[in-house]
Amino acid sequence: MNTTYELPLDEAGYAFGFMDEYAKKEVRRTILKAICIPGYQTPYASREMPMGRGFGTGGLQLTLSLIGSDDTLKVIDQGADDSVNAVNLRQFVQMTCPGVDVTEKTEEATLIQSRHRIPEKPLTEAQILVLQVPYPDALVVVEASEARRKTMHGEADYSRLLVKLYEDLVKFDEITISHRYPTRVHGHYIIDPSPIPRWDVPKLHQSKALILLGAGREKKIYAVPPYTIAEPLAFEDVVFRVEDFRDASGNRRTCSRCGASNSFLDEFSDEADGEADGKIYQCSDSAYCDEQLARQASAYQKPKTEEAA
Amino acid sequence: MKLTEINVAHMTTDKANGMTDSTVWQAQTQQRLFRLLLDAFAYPGRLFDATGSGTTARLAILATLLDAEVDLADPHKLVAREDWLRLMAAAAAPEQARFIVADAARTPDFTPAPGSLESPEFGATLVLEVRQLGAGKPLLLTGPGIASQTRLAVQGLHPAWIEQRAEWVSAYPLGADIILCDARSFAALPRTTQIVWEEG
Repeated sequence: MNTTYELPLDEAGYAFGFMDEYAKKEVRRTILKAICIPGYQTPYASREMPMGRGFGTGGLQLTLSLIGSDDTLKVIDQGADDSVNAVNLRQFVQMTCPGVDVTEKTEEATLIQSRHRIPEKPLTEAQILVLQVPYPDALVVVEASEARRKTMHGEADYSRLLVKLYEDLVKFDEITISHRYPTRVHGHYIIDPSPIPRWDVPKLHQSKALILLGAGREKKIYAVPPYTIAEPLAFEDVVFRVEDFRDASGNRRTCSRCGASNSFLDEFSDEADGEADGKIYQCSDSAYCDEQLARQASAYQKPKTEEAA
Repeated sequence: MKLTEINVAHMTTDKANGMTDSTVWQAQTQQRLFRLLLDAFAYPGRLFDATGSGTTARLAILATLLDAEVDLADPHKLVAREDWLRLMAAAAAPEQARFIVADAARTPDFTPAPGSLESPEFGATLVLEVRQLGAGKPLLLTGPGIASQTRLAVQGLHPAWIEQRAEWVSAYPLGADIILCDARSFAALPRTTQIVWEEG
């Protein structure tokens, strides 16, 4: 965000949460219907926000319609709290929602807005996850007309999507979708779960926290309610699998920073410190990585203080 | 300009006692009520307390959800005239309305709009007022938002509502969503919830 930019102040000023109360009410009504029809892309008006469509305006409108002064917000961009999209959105909420606390720790947050990741740490019933969605409709790859897609969704007619996956198998011996993996919710609607990696898809299933998805440009809101079946699309004899992060010799790669071997890893090029192929791996979830480091530091310091005593 | 200098219009609170009749019309109260409603729909069958709104649960729910964009049916004349003006919703017949408020002690004498296959969100939302929640005959609930099974005790709900609702929600994704309320508290029954009366 441009720090020299100031929101114009007229006599009334801005309402808490920037959006006017009628806009919030419309989003709120839409959210409730989205929960009642799990996975259904519920249309809403999607107001103009003071940032470009495609920068998380769908998620932001959800967050601003939900948030109150007693909330603690965490904003994630691709796993990290300190990358540009997360910082911008967090600053905007802080500026327009006085009294709201922000945090980087997953467990402290009551409201989490995220782009492309679900936190590694399991969420609780006291938390709501808001995911930013660029392309909400999983059927768009097989049907161009939205009117026809709506009928297909209503009838739960996903045969053409299954054919698409089958073609993948024929061509590549594997389903090649790395992110935005089509997922069936409550046995009916198939959703695009936003560009989360496969690694995160199982976290949608029977989640304790409510998961809301907002597409600002496409003007859609949908939900995966808590304790709801969410199954990634697969075949009986070709099961869904997540990234395994194995190296050439079959060992699970670990985070080069905290050493974790149970998190989703980002790959970086690093000629100096990288492995033989010039690659280095690190936790994508920065809060999780920091927590592992802090835990190691305190375990290291404890014996030291005992010695001193 | 510092962050704190931004004038937040609605935050000038009612200095009298904060719990006047007008509280429920304030944005901050409606935000808190909405979060309770959100939890109610996310976790069907759980009871939520609306007493902080300074009015009945029924009016608190309506004030939180309605504005001039939607219509409301009130077949049993439960909403006071001055509240109709504040809600701003247009009056409509129960068969067409997006929102319906009704007395649950009576039998349902209408079929709410179920939405369409392409647009199931046009299925109505019913606010049904019962005598008491948390006491009386228990309903057994299963479905999304419920870990395995949960109970919701209700007093003053005519059994015909549960029978009729089973028909209204029989062609998923079409259906109607229900909020049960008594004077102080409420619970939600989305169309996905399966409901049976507990035996015995």
